[in-house]
Order: sequence, then C-alpha cells, then structure tokens
Amino acid sequence: MSTKIAAMILAGGKGTRLHALTRKVAKPAVSYGGKYRIIDFPLSNCANSGISSVGVLTQYESSELNSYVGNGEKWGLNGVRSIASALTPKQTEEGSNWYRGTADAIFQNIDWLDKVDPKYVLILSGDHIYSCTYDEMLERHISSGAECTISVYPVEWNEASRFGILITDKDSNIVDFQEKPKVPKSNLASMGIYIFTYKTLRAQLIADAKNEDSDHDFGKNIIPNMMAEGRKLVAYTYHGYWKDVGTIASLHEANMDLLLDNGKPTNLYTVQGDNKIYSEDTHSAPQYIGPKASVSKCLINQGANIFGSVSRCVISSEAIVDEGALVENAVLMQGCHIGEGAIVKDAIIGPSSLVEAGSKVNLEQDGIVLVVNGKAGK
Amino acid sequence: MKRDIIGLVDCHNCPEMGSLTANRALASTSFLGRYAFADFALSNFCNSEINDVCVLVKDHERSILKHLGNMTSWLTNTKIGREQILYNERGILNPPFNHDINNIRENDWVLYSSNASYLVFMAPHIVLDIDLRPIIAEHIARKEKMTMVYKPLEDADIEFRSEDLLEIDEEGYVTSISKNDGTKKKANASLAIWIVNRTILADIIKRHGAVNPLYGMKEMIPYLLRVAPFKIHSYKFEGYARCFDSFAHYIEYSFELLNAGVAKELFNPDWPIFTLTHDTPPALYGKDSKVVNSFISNGCVVEGEVENSIICRNVKIGRNTKITDSIILSNVAIGDETIVKNVVIDKYSVITSRQKVEGKPDEFVYLKQGVII
Repeated sequence: MSTKIAAMILAGGKGTRLHALTRKVAKPAVSYGGKYRIIDFPLSNCANSGISSVGVLTQYESSELNSYVGNGEKWGLNGVRSIASALTPKQTEEGSNWYRGTADAIFQNIDWLDKVDPKYVLILSGDHIYSCTYDEMLERHISSGAECTISVYPVEWNEASRFGILITDKDSNIVDFQEKPKVPKSNLASMGIYIFTYKTLRAQLIADAKNEDSDHDFGKNIIPNMMAEGRKLVAYTYHGYWKDVGTIASLHEANMDLLLDNGKPTNLYTVQGDNKIYSEDTHSAPQYIGPKASVSKCLINQGANIFGSVSRCVISSEAIVDEGALVENAVLMQGCHIGEGAIVKDAIIGPSSLVEAGSKVNLEQDGIVLVVNGKAGK
Repeated sequence: MKRDIIGLVDCHNCPEMGSLTANRALASTSFLGRYAFADFALSNFCNSEINDVCVLVKDHERSILKHLGNMTSWLTNTKIGREQILYNERGILNPPFNHDINNIRENDWVLYSSNASYLVFMAPHIVLDIDLRPIIAEHIARKEKMTMVYKPLEDADIEFRSEDLLEIDEEGYVTSISKNDGTKKKANASLAIWIVNRTILADIIKRHGAVNPLYGMKEMIPYLLRVAPFKIHSYKFEGYARCFDSFAHYIEYSFELLNAGVAKELFNPDWPIFTLTHDTPPALYGKDSKVVNSFISNGCVVEGEVENSIICRNVKIGRNTKITDSIILSNVAIGDETIVKNVVIDKYSVITSRQKVEGKPDEFVYLKQGVII
C-alpha cells in the first residue's frame, strides 16, 4: 500500500464481561486460538495491509499490553519507515487526563499522528477477531471521495437491534444512523472500523474536544456530527469471519470456530500463506501427545503436553492434561494444568490455572464456565 | 552478561548422516519437528549469558543461513551482542583445507574487533543442556589455558563414535586423547566443548601452518597435548548428552525423546531452547484423528492416525491414514488411507492416497526431499 495511512488501534477497554480473565490484563491481550492474543489480529491485518505506522491506544491494565506491543517486532513493524507505539494517557503541560472516550484517545495523540503525517487514518478496535487486509476499503474511500468510510457487517435482522445500524443509499452513502434501534431500518452493523481523511478527522477531533457535552466517542459524537454537517460518509460492506468477543460464551464460541469441520467460512488455516497471523514466540518445547492420550477435533499449540483425553478443545502452549483426565468442549489457556482423572466440560480454563486431580468442572454443562485461579505449577 | 567470551558453534567436525545431510548441513537439519541442531548450541550460549557468538560454517551455507536468518532469535541484547556467520571462502574450493582453524584465520577480524579473552567451542551435533558459566568460571579461577568438557560413558563402543576419548589424571588434567575406535565400553568421551584462552588460539593459528596445514582444532588439540608448555584441564559433565554421529542414531535418539522421562532431561523450563519462529498456527486435529506418543508441530493438520512418530511443521495427514514409528519433516502432505511405517520422509514430499511405504525397525526407508509417491 503506497498511500500514506496510519492505523490507530483502540485497546484501552477493560472487557468487564470477561470477568476474571481481564482482572490483570486488558481485553485485547486476552489469549485466543491456542497461540494468539486478540490484538494479534488487527496488528497482523495492518502488517499484511502494508500499513507501517501503528499506534496502539492502551489504558486499562496497560503495562502488559504495552510491553507486548513493544516496538512492533512481533508483527514485523520494526523495519525502516515503520513505527509501532503503545500510546497510554500521559501527563502534559495542560495537566493529565485519562482517555475520556474513543475520540478523545485519538485527540490526545494528535501530536503522534502529526509526526507520522498520514493522509488517511484507519481506526480499529483491538478486540475484534478477523483476518483481512484494509486495501480494498482504502481504495473505496479514495475512489468515492468520502471523508469517512465505515466498515459494516450484515447481521441477522433479529439481532440488528443490538448494534449501531447504518442506513445507506444505493451508492453506499450513509444517509442515517440508528444506535441499538428497536425497529431497525437496515441490517448493516457498524464494525467500529473507520477510515478518515486525516485533515477532516483532525478538525473534527479538535472541535469535539472543546465541546464539554460530548462523550468524545466516534459512534456517538464524531460520526453524527459529520453527518449533521453534510459530509460524505460511505459504508464499506465486509464479508468474511468477524467476531467481537464480549462475553465468556462468545470467547468460547470464537475459539470453537477454529476447529476443523465447524462449518464456518474461516479458520486460521485458510488465512495462512500471504496473510499469516503473527504472534509472540513462546520458545516452547515440542507439543507432545502421550501414550494413552486421545485427541479429536482439537487445536493444540506447541509446548502442550496431552496425556488424557481431549475433544473439541483449543489448547495453548505449556498446558498439561494429565492421564485419565477428560476434557470436552473447552479452551485451555497458557500453562493451565488439568489434573489426573479430572473431568472438564464446556469451560474456559484461564492462564496458569489448575483443575485439581479428580475434580469435576461443569458436568451439568450449564453454559460456559470460567476457571481462573493461577495455581498451576505451584 | 559475560562480555569477555566469544562462543563458537563449530560446524566443521559434524558427521555426515547420509542422504539426510546430502544437501544441508547437520547444523540446520530438522530435529524433533521444531528445531535445527544448531539451536541447542546457540541456546546454550544464550542461556549461559554469552552474547558474542560466531557460527563457523563448513559448507551448505544456504541451508544454515535460511535457518539462522539475522540470528537475533538467540541473542539477549541485539546491540551489544552479535552473532556472525563465518565462512571460509577459499576453503570451499579446497576441501582438505576447509577446517575450523583456516576458517578463523580467514575471519580473524572477529578476534581483532573484540576484547574477549576466552573462546568457547561447541559442536552442533552434540545435543545437551549445559550451563557454561561454572565451567568458564573454573577455567578462569584455575588460570588454565585450555579446558575440555567430557562425559563418562558406559557404552563408548556404540556411543560418541565420532568423538575423541580422553584419559584424565587425578588432578583433572587430560593425559591422552584418542579416536573412539569402538573397542572400549567404559570411557570418557569428549563433548567437543573446548574453552581456549584467546592468546592460545592466536598461537595455534600462528603455528598451525608449520605443524600441519591440514589440521583442524580437533587434530591440533592432541598435538598440543604432546608438545604444549601447558596442560589441558578437563571438566566432567554427567547430564543428558547425545552425539548424533549417524543416521541410525538420529532415528534412535529422536524416538528416545518420546519418553517423557528422557524429554524432561532436555526440555527444562529454566533452560529454554530458542529457535526460529515461522508464525504457523497451532496443530489442528480432525474428528477421527488418533494420536499417541508423538511430537506434533504447529501448522499440522492431522485427520488420520499417528503413533510413536515425530511430525514437523505444516504436515498434512489424511483420513484413515496411519503413520507409525516415522519421522516426517516439514511441509509433507500425506493423502487418505495410506500406511507409513519406519520411514523418514524429507521436506516437501507428497504421498498420495492409498499408498504403502514401509521400512523395517532396523532399516528405515528414507524418502528424499520433494519426492511424489
């Protein structure tokens, strides 16, 4: 991509509905797919789109996420002419502030953007799981002459009332906007992915920052304001796998989507080749499947040791399933340990968590259960 | 961080393993699905806080460069540390002269551009976890000129056949160095880890031409033992160490690590083995997959059965296919309803559906890179 574009990834959210999983880390840093953290997806998408200037806006429990982002080396964003920065709220001459909203987070980093001096700015969310490049969306933004292009995703009509809905004309121009409507006029949900022409965005952010009544939010303030001013906003329809994991159940479901024969259109194996998802290297030992193990319909990362029986599981590095243990329909995060003879069903076992030998987790299969205790290996 | 030590991964004395190493160096040959042999020596240097590392390449530099890349995978500090690939350009045309001493002589700027006082040689074909820090500390404290690390063996007639055997006196000094001719069972085998003072190495390089220009370090050390005005000290290592001196041992030692107890001796969470990342997704298993007692690497898609086998990156195994007692290197595709037993399949090969490829436990079939069956 030769056109100068910078990406800003909003990664400050706590993800309250993920409960104990986000007690110590921000939602974008939550483990996913046996090997990845959720933020690997937008960062890899940027790298695969040839975007070389990426700011990651962090706030809640930012230290782990900041060091994870580092200089962007994990996604190859440390080359010449590349910059990857974790941008946390900071103290300035005017005082110090938390990010008061998504728009305010970008506003507080206008200096960073000015230095990069992009023609366009791509705003992304750090907690969406999808693999794509942004090339086509940018081409559409440029060719349509829009000042803002919003990525939309066609949802089921009966679910449309849960989303911010965009109404478009036949040329994909956005003509109206409904936030969680009771009676939706369209099924195109905003994905929270925007491309702005930077000049416009900059002016909008400065104006919005002065407005004390504003929530400083893209969806609530910036977009409606631009529409009110009669600016050209265009929708770009995204097709393909896309998931916003907000709850334990949806995180579990998104993991299960990666298994073979799941009937879903996308898994990690179809995105290999030119568009890999990059992540941290764990320096693990090889993955070992023991003499009495049974493994079926699973996704298992290097460093895992499986001695028991696992089926429909996504298993991270250094996870151990002891002999005689039975794990079904579960996500085992990094370093967790399922003791001998334990039975685990429909669960997410958090990082370094222990399921003691002989114990039973969610046998009644009452929804998806989360186990987080950090007791493994102690 | 020890900044007065240079680590040398010496690929000049690696044994050949037949077809497996016909087109690649042993240092970059695949091991346990995830590693290349050089990873162990490089990780031992890294974990021992040695940050100035050179790889002495004998041949097949393309395959070594491909694995090592810019070599930052094994460095703690990428600015202070350095990893160099040293290659004897003149030697390649003149194989008898292509040995480690000439390689260092060709690349002597490495020595001039460093203040290091000590050099540590390691051989990539000897796989072990070894903390070099106490050995170097002892070497320095005793003011030794040269130290050799050895392992006492009970079965030297079959193990470490490519290495030298040492005799050691009560004070720990080496009294004789001999080739392992397979006649002794109980013996001290050299681990090809040599700690040499820089001044001694400079002296070896200077005098080497007059002694015998065909000699490498492995030949010069026994010579020094006879004539040098100093003694060679030894250090005993008793942990897990394997010398990959033949194709048969490559198979035997690879499968040996399928035993969790043995694997524990090599894979210690406090002593990670670093390797190059390929950003492959985790291994994916189908609904009818049956896998027991095997190493499976990332990027694999397993829909059939795998037993007592080692499967490298990006291998596809079809439905109702059964892989037993085999080593499959990376990027191999195996179709449906195929039987593979006692076979080593090299990279990028394709075994189509309904095939049968079988060797014998004592006579493995080797399929070379890129074959289609």
